[in-house]
Amino acid sequence: MKIEDCRVIFATVGLIGMLTLGSPTLGLMLHLPGGEKFSELWVLGPGHMAEDYPFNVTAGVNYLVYVGVGCHTGSLTYYDVQMKFRNETESFPNSTVGTPSALAPLYDYRLFLEDGESNELPLTFSFSNVSFSGNQSTVGIVTINGVQSNVAESVSWDAVNQGYYYQLFMELWVYDPASNVPRFDNRFVSLWLNMTAPV
Amino acid sequence: MKHFLMGSIIVFLALLGLFSGSIVVVRGADQASPIVGDAGSAVHAAFNATLEAERAGANVSDLIASLNEAARLLSDAKTSLSSGNLSEAAIMAGQCFGIAANIERQAGVLKASAKNEAQSVFWTSLTFSVVGIASFIVVLLLLWVWFRRRFTGKVLDMKPEVASNED
Repeated sequence: MKIEDCRVIFATVGLIGMLTLGSPTLGLMLHLPGGEKFSELWVLGPGHMAEDYPFNVTAGVNYLVYVGVGCHTGSLTYYDVQMKFRNETESFPNSTVGTPSALAPLYDYRLFLEDGESNELPLTFSFSNVSFSGNQSTVGIVTINGVQSNVAESVSWDAVNQGYYYQLFMELWVYDPASNVPRFDNRFVSLWLNMTAPV
Repeated sequence: MKHFLMGSIIVFLALLGLFSGSIVVVRGADQASPIVGDAGSAVHAAFNATLEAERAGANVSDLIASLNEAARLLSDAKTSLSSGNLSEAAIMAGQCFGIAANIERQAGVLKASAKNEAQSVFWTSLTFSVVGIASFIVVLLLLWVWFRRRFTGKVLDMKPEVASNED
């Protein structure tokens, strides 16, 4: 072995040693970019499973679903889940453009989640002042988690799908800490509900 | 300061309503609405303060539980306001304001504490790295000098081997 080879070995050992000893400080100074930042929104049936969702609904009956929110944003996040109710012709969120529905929320649920946390909210809803006349159905009041809202939504008989279809949907909004203004996170889930007359 | 003063008044009114058995009378939505609005602003401020504390490296798990309580009260206050139950809206907004103001104070303390701790950790690790690297370089250089002398000496002590090509 030549002296030059030994010099290279010493230099390599020196470099590795310096990096090892400097790593605690380097770890504090260098911040590597994290993974993808996103939020989750989901809806589950009454058994906390993706099944048995309410579909054929009737007035005066309570229905239960669970709405879940998951946080993967890398920091504490302030969420607002807005529940809205519509007929087939009214405004619905557009995921392509990223715009929310123009309808006012009937119920909203605010929560704070840390990165990696999730939360499931039980959502009980029912309908009252429901009427049927001719080929039209009208829902007067929607109650979500005990909060009553006058909606007066009407739909016509859907001859193709054989029913009176309404849609209950949930939008996920996130508060921007810089501006303190909530912005639509382009996440929404929905339930189609076929209003039926009580037997 | 203005927010603190307003908050104190709201909390006082809310507590008066709760503990004296009487009801805080709010004469109209015009009066209840700013109170709920202030509670919303207080929750935002508490959120921002907690976020800053978290970014400074503080453990904010306890504050998040309180933030969720404040958010629930704010939602309930808004619901009461929209359903015309103004007194209840004012009481809930007051409670919400009180919790949010408390969170903001605690978050400020946690942030300062976390910053001090982070600075202390930084200087400790920087000292360790600088002293460690310097010592390591000195030891390595001494080792190199010793090794080179020994290597050179060995080479000089070597006797030349004479090989003959005898057939």
